[in-house]
Amino acid sequence: MPRRPLLFCLLLLFSILLLVACSGHDQGYSLPALHPPEADLGRNRPTCTDCHEERGGPLAFADFNHTAYFAESHRNAAGRNVQVCNMCHQPSFCNTCHATGIELKPSVMNQSDTYSRTPHRGDYLSRHRIDGKIDPGSCFRCHGNPKAARTCAPCHG
Amino acid sequence: MNSPYGRSVWRIGFFCVLCGLLLAAPTIAGAMEVRLNSQTLLLFMQRNTPTSTDASVVPLYEYLQADIGARSTRGLSFHFYGWAREDLNDSDYYADNPDGELLYGYLDYSRPFSHLNLRFGRHYVIGGLANNSIDGLSLQTDLGPDFVLSVYGGLPVAFDTTAGRSGDSIFGGRLAWHSANLHEVGLSYQNINNDGSTEDQRFGLDLSLALPAGVNLSGRSTYNLESDGFGENFYEARFALSDFNFRTFFENYTYADYFAPGAQTPNPFYVLNRTGEAQTNFGADVVWRMSSDWEFGAKTKFYTYDVNSSSAAYYSGLITWHGQDLTQIGGEIGTMQGNAADNKYILSRAFFYWDRPAGLPLSFISGDLLYAAYDQPIYGQDNSFFASLGAGQHFLDDRLELKLSGDYSSDPYYDSDWRTMLVANYRFDY
Repeated sequence: MPRRPLLFCLLLLFSILLLVACSGHDQGYSLPALHPPEADLGRNRPTCTDCHEERGGPLAFADFNHTAYFAESHRNAAGRNVQVCNMCHQPSFCNTCHATGIELKPSVMNQSDTYSRTPHRGDYLSRHRIDGKIDPGSCFRCHGNPKAARTCAPCHG
Repeated sequence: MNSPYGRSVWRIGFFCVLCGLLLAAPTIAGAMEVRLNSQTLLLFMQRNTPTSTDASVVPLYEYLQADIGARSTRGLSFHFYGWAREDLNDSDYYADNPDGELLYGYLDYSRPFSHLNLRFGRHYVIGGLANNSIDGLSLQTDLGPDFVLSVYGGLPVAFDTTAGRSGDSIFGGRLAWHSANLHEVGLSYQNINNDGSTEDQRFGLDLSLALPAGVNLSGRSTYNLESDGFGENFYEARFALSDFNFRTFFENYTYADYFAPGAQTPNPFYVLNRTGEAQTNFGADVVWRMSSDWEFGAKTKFYTYDVNSSSAAYYSGLITWHGQDLTQIGGEIGTMQGNAADNKYILSRAFFYWDRPAGLPLSFISGDLLYAAYDQPIYGQDNSFFASLGAGQHFLDDRLELKLSGDYSSDPYYDSDWRTMLVANYRFDY
């Protein structure tokens, strides 16, 4: 597609949306930019439903409970409501895994944070020979582009 | 941008912007907050390099993050995150890798009215089909009380490695319809061009439905418009019974449509794309919070294939004891059982994290043990062992944290590998 018309269309769309957004009215429930500081979250793994309704409130807070499996199952919840993640996490936190060129794998970058159950801990290089054959889609989600696949290239070409 | 010179110019440019904003920030807005986070890592290890065996490799990494602007109140803000590396021993271990990367550097404008959020620069876009780093513009806003629209466009960062950035583009968006918390249905589209040709073009549907009895069904389907087929269908149902939280899931992947068929699809996915294979997985996990201290989990996942006509299953269980703050002790055991002998392994892990140990001049002590046994040897070895021990301490009113960890591994790739890492995290606010 030619670059100039595409750019024009995008700018036009952005402009219209800006006008619509700026002239909008209060839409009811609005997530705060940060989780209210007066709520003492402590340093432990957050369980949202200790204070919030599981379902039926403005958000399905149960989906955001940081259970032991949350790291490997937050995809759907975060994909729809990334603003919820942003209330506590800066983008750099997400970039530990979701980045196109961070070089150090999450388990090395946060080696001593053993509580965080980061992916690829220990000898994953060996295990990935089996996991990769059985479930290659799980590799593709993070390594499916030329930049993120640089770690695959030395062996896979 | 692909050449080292281009990358340097890019980095220097952003560094100048960052410095300018840092210097100007107090002047242009007295109430503006500035936060810097520096993570410096020094690793010691031995690796085979292109020119020598067991060479000492001593990389020094700096991960720098800057946030300028009030984070707690909405408005204009600037965010930066990037890293650079220098091998202090001058080995050629990293000869084929870049020495740094700008992960993001963007201006953000948000306001509560309409939940407007506008970002410009290098940033990550998440939502619907989007899970991409772009150099460009993104906007998200409510359209009335029932609709949310997000659009984005620019250059795809992931493709700047192939023949420069000329002819590269990425654009897409998502329109979602929701009603309170009862349902949300999103339609999304994404188009990626690389070097002037369409690399990937997809249409996506995502949904979340609050069903009776507290069951929440959510998932997504993606349709590959280049290969004309559904690449992915992924759906899960979550529900709670007393202190038990259940999640069941179903996922289906058609390789020819899921692994993007573009010319730049990296291996091994490019090869898989041509196998005609389709994979279906299903399974469940459950977490039982017996008390605020004890947590138990179990997970199972089954894999089936159309062409290969084989199957595999993964079973695991874990137990965690939670103490004060981040203190935890836990263990996990799992097994992968594939049809073929070389698709089987047993994995076990035990860990602890002692947060702010009483009577010790440390902010934490942590340890990790992993042991895996393979049904068929890999490079002549049928098991792997990994151990890690770490400790840290806070200084300067908790603004500075020093962490030291030592790791040992013995596995099919490394007979006996020692690695040491020193980390300095520094946080600066004004």
